[in-house]
Amino acid sequence: MRRPSIPGIAALACFLLLGACATSAPPVGTQVNEQRFSASVVPGATRAGVLTALGPTRNIVFDSGYEVWLYQTARPNGQFAEYVVLFDRAGLVSKTRRREPPPVKTN
Amino acid sequence: MGELRAFTAARRTFALAIAAGAILAPCGVVIAQTAPAAEQVQTVRVPFVRNPVDKSYPKMIKGMERFMRERALAPAATLRFRLLPRLPNSKLDGVTLRVLGDNVSAPVQIAPDYSFVLPRNEQALREDAAVIANRRSDSMTWRAWVQTPGLAPGTRRLGDLRLECRVGMDAGLISNSSPMFGWLSNALANTDQVCGNADGNYLFFAERPVFAVTLRHGARTEVLPFKMMYAGGDQTRETLPFCDCQVLLDRSYYAPLWDKSWPDDTSIEFDYMDGQP
Repeated sequence: MRRPSIPGIAALACFLLLGACATSAPPVGTQVNEQRFSASVVPGATRAGVLTALGPTRNIVFDSGYEVWLYQTARPNGQFAEYVVLFDRAGLVSKTRRREPPPVKTN
Repeated sequence: MGELRAFTAARRTFALAIAAGAILAPCGVVIAQTAPAAEQVQTVRVPFVRNPVDKSYPKMIKGMERFMRERALAPAATLRFRLLPRLPNSKLDGVTLRVLGDNVSAPVQIAPDYSFVLPRNEQALREDAAVIANRRSDSMTWRAWVQTPGLAPGTRRLGDLRLECRVGMDAGLISNSSPMFGWLSNALANTDQVCGNADGNYLFFAERPVFAVTLRHGARTEVLPFKMMYAGGDQTRETLPFCDCQVLLDRSYYAPLWDKSWPDDTSIEFDYMDGQP
């Protein structure tokens, strides 16, 4: 059997390795109305209630039972404000945070 | 001592053959066909085979040397290394480390927080020793830990993280790939790319599950975007096993190491999930 070349091994492994590590596009949450978000997402609100009010969105469920959901609102220049909701182990809103996009740099 | 020699001999002759064999075909077949190295090794007793993600002692020392060279980033800081759990249900209780080479076998003292200082040993350097744990190497992950004393609780310092990334990368501590390709991942990793570019992917871990991370320098503050939390916020059940954040996902974040508009003295503040709203 012909001995495989080092570059050959490296190329194959690179392909597989990079496939696992490739960076993807930034996460995009469901776009919501700001007032509707503020009215629906209050401490103690249930996961089901938020789902009904704002719809499904990008979320991460952690092994601890906590969960974060990301919503967004459009801002000028193609940017988005972020609204992140933390649900505790009981499925109740525990914290929220809002992040405005940084100012667009002009030359 | 014979076992140590056998270990190193096997390591030196088998290193590439095992890696190639793991990729290309069932190991037994390929190793048998990659003579002459395999023929020699078949006659050697091999009590250990170095796992591709075992840590290289010389590389870790190289990381320590980077720390000394670039202390300007964190002038008052100390350097330790730290072990963190990687697999579900992995416990670090009772973990031990040894520096293992041809003729050297030295224990490494581990603190209760699973951090340690790696002693410098010239013989271990000459023998291209490994730092080996008494458990599956993929059950835990390793990080450099650069810490300026006296910071407010729940905060870190950006310059510390910048240096931590460079030390950690030079030390070859990161293994965000399957163990099969860990050797190649380490070979391809470039410290300047990972620690100096916006798409660098050096993950940090907060002390507890974190909900928000805020940068603060003087009057300027900025909350990290979602894409810089939780290993990018896009891990799936399929990709997570290849991230060393596997069981630390809720503690993971990226820091803007590359962004020079944030000075080294920038404070990084954590709002923990279990903290007061």
